Amino acid sequence: MKNNFKLHQWLSPSIYIVTTVLGLLALIYPFLLPAVISSAAGEARAAEMPLLMTVMLGLSLLVLIYEVQGGAFNTKLVALLGMLVAINAALRFIEVGIPGPGGFSPIFFLIILTGYLFGGRFGFLMGTLTIFVSSIITGGIGPWLPSQMLAAGWVGMSAALLVPIVSRVQSINRHLPSRWERSSEILILAVFGFLWGLLYGLIMNLWSWPYFSGPADQFWLHGVGVYETIQRYTSYYLLTSLVWDLGRGLGTAVLLVAFGLPALRALRRFQRRFTFYSEPVEEVRTSDKAEAAQDASIQVQGRI
Amino acid sequence: MINTWVWIAWLVTALIALSSTRNPLYLVLILMCLTIVNNAVSRSTHLGNDINSGARLPISPLRLLVMLVVLSALFNAAISHYGETVLFYLPEWLPLIGGAITLEALIYGALNGLVLFGIFWTFMILNQALPSRRLLRLIPRAFYPVAVVTSIAITFVPATVRNFHQIREAQSIRGHRLRGLRDWLPLIMPLMVGGLERALALAEAMTARGFASGGKSGGQFWERTLLLLGTLLVLAGWTLRLTERWFLLGNTMLIAGSVLIFGTLWILGRRSPRTTYARERWSLQDVIIILGMSLVLVFILIPLPFLDRLTLPYEVYPKISLPGFDPLFGVIIIALLLPTLFLHHQSTHSHS
Repeated sequence: MKNNFKLHQWLSPSIYIVTTVLGLLALIYPFLLPAVISSAAGEARAAEMPLLMTVMLGLSLLVLIYEVQGGAFNTKLVALLGMLVAINAALRFIEVGIPGPGGFSPIFFLIILTGYLFGGRFGFLMGTLTIFVSSIITGGIGPWLPSQMLAAGWVGMSAALLVPIVSRVQSINRHLPSRWERSSEILILAVFGFLWGLLYGLIMNLWSWPYFSGPADQFWLHGVGVYETIQRYTSYYLLTSLVWDLGRGLGTAVLLVAFGLPALRALRRFQRRFTFYSEPVEEVRTSDKAEAAQDASIQVQGRI
Repeated sequence: MINTWVWIAWLVTALIALSSTRNPLYLVLILMCLTIVNNAVSRSTHLGNDINSGARLPISPLRLLVMLVVLSALFNAAISHYGETVLFYLPEWLPLIGGAITLEALIYGALNGLVLFGIFWTFMILNQALPSRRLLRLIPRAFYPVAVVTSIAITFVPATVRNFHQIREAQSIRGHRLRGLRDWLPLIMPLMVGGLERALALAEAMTARGFASGGKSGGQFWERTLLLLGTLLVLAGWTLRLTERWFLLGNTMLIAGSVLIFGTLWILGRRSPRTTYARERWSLQDVIIILGMSLVLVFILIPLPFLDRLTLPYEVYPKISLPGFDPLFGVIIIALLLPTLFLHHQSTHSHS
């Protein structure tokens, strides 16, 4: 029984790690091919690569979403997530009106904030479902969707990692006025948003790169090694995407600086109302640590 | 009404046809078929039958075609310096792009752009043909919490957009003008807070009606272990597949892992009952389209003695030559037009 409990504890992190590794490996497929396959089979492998990449990303996404959706989701969080996804998808319509550079998209603003405040699971679902819902509405469903959803999900999931960083920075700066403390939080979020703006483009380009590139025998085989493949991808990225992605990164960072503080304040106000829950009295009495757990759950149940 | 799964079968067939050739003649033929299907779908949309709620095209197809073909051709020509027909030289001191610009590289890039455009366009047609409610039904039952969230979001998007316009009007009446980024704050914050308030009201309404999504669908230990095992098999299979020696074993593991994942999700889905109010039916037209698509796949994927398969992979390098053409392949590709027969039938019915 005890072993089963231990396995239970390990299962979730294992699924997160394995699915993330699978997703990452699927994305870096073009970089690995030259190192391992011979030129004879290379043409066929290269041709099937985009399809295989999509399938693997899809599988990784399915398992990850199943694992993430199964956690402590009550009615309030389902409604909250649905509504936030609706707001974010609507922002995609409104983005035409917001003066933004290049590949700027306002959707990362809420994905980062919700991941940071409500935890990695919530952030992941926020990212994936925002892309999914807006794709259904705007007619953007395609083979690029799994990688878009996974990448946006990673944005939300990784935003939860900022919590200890912000706490550490704030504890160092605790002697400073509270205004500075809040600014450091927003600054960290903005830097994070900027970096993800670039990284998101870097990930998404991997899907289209094999199509825009030359034939397989020039790209992955005939002595073209991993190093040169990276070099070629770098040139592709610099030529086609850097400016576009800088627009996305800068736009997200500017949004976080401009609206981050009031949005965080509003979300924190609602966080308590959405994440409190009551436990049956019997259960509380039977458990030794129930009282403490109940207090803790009322306070910070928000971090799913 | 063409069945949703028939549209999916059409999509898969079109994608496989596109991916299996680089011959410009076949590619152009496929794109012409897609154009005709797209026109038929658009006509049906205008006449207001069942597909009228499908999404509009987010970008003009012609614009997308030009963008993808030009970008792909230029990029490939700049990066790849192979080919015998040299058009001009870029100075060698230019990093990465310096060297001979060849016609072959330009053509190869353009062909890649055509394939990419075909893939984009096939999905754009599907998005037009299937309304969101039919797409939503495709979410597997195992993902019912996600399906609920998606339904909520899709339902509230129009209301959110409407709210945004109302807030904007209300602020304008108060003299608010949009001059800079900061001026968006009085629009964004009420939109967000209003949405959060609505979420609370919705949660209360859902609870009052007995909705409880917290059935801990992720709590099943063995099923989740099977999912983990399936993912590990896919991962191991993919890694082995990269080598020549273990290619077959890798493929087997990849397929086994995928079957394990889909099987487990199917079993999990059966535990979540779903009520369907209007079940989609299969009609004769659906069977005809499915048979047609199966025939296309058989001819494209299986090497048959009476077909010249060498015309499919067109080789531009090292020197450009005229592409071959097997008329039988041409006839097979035209079978992609099958849905238009029934869409036309549908639209004339609707018109009368």
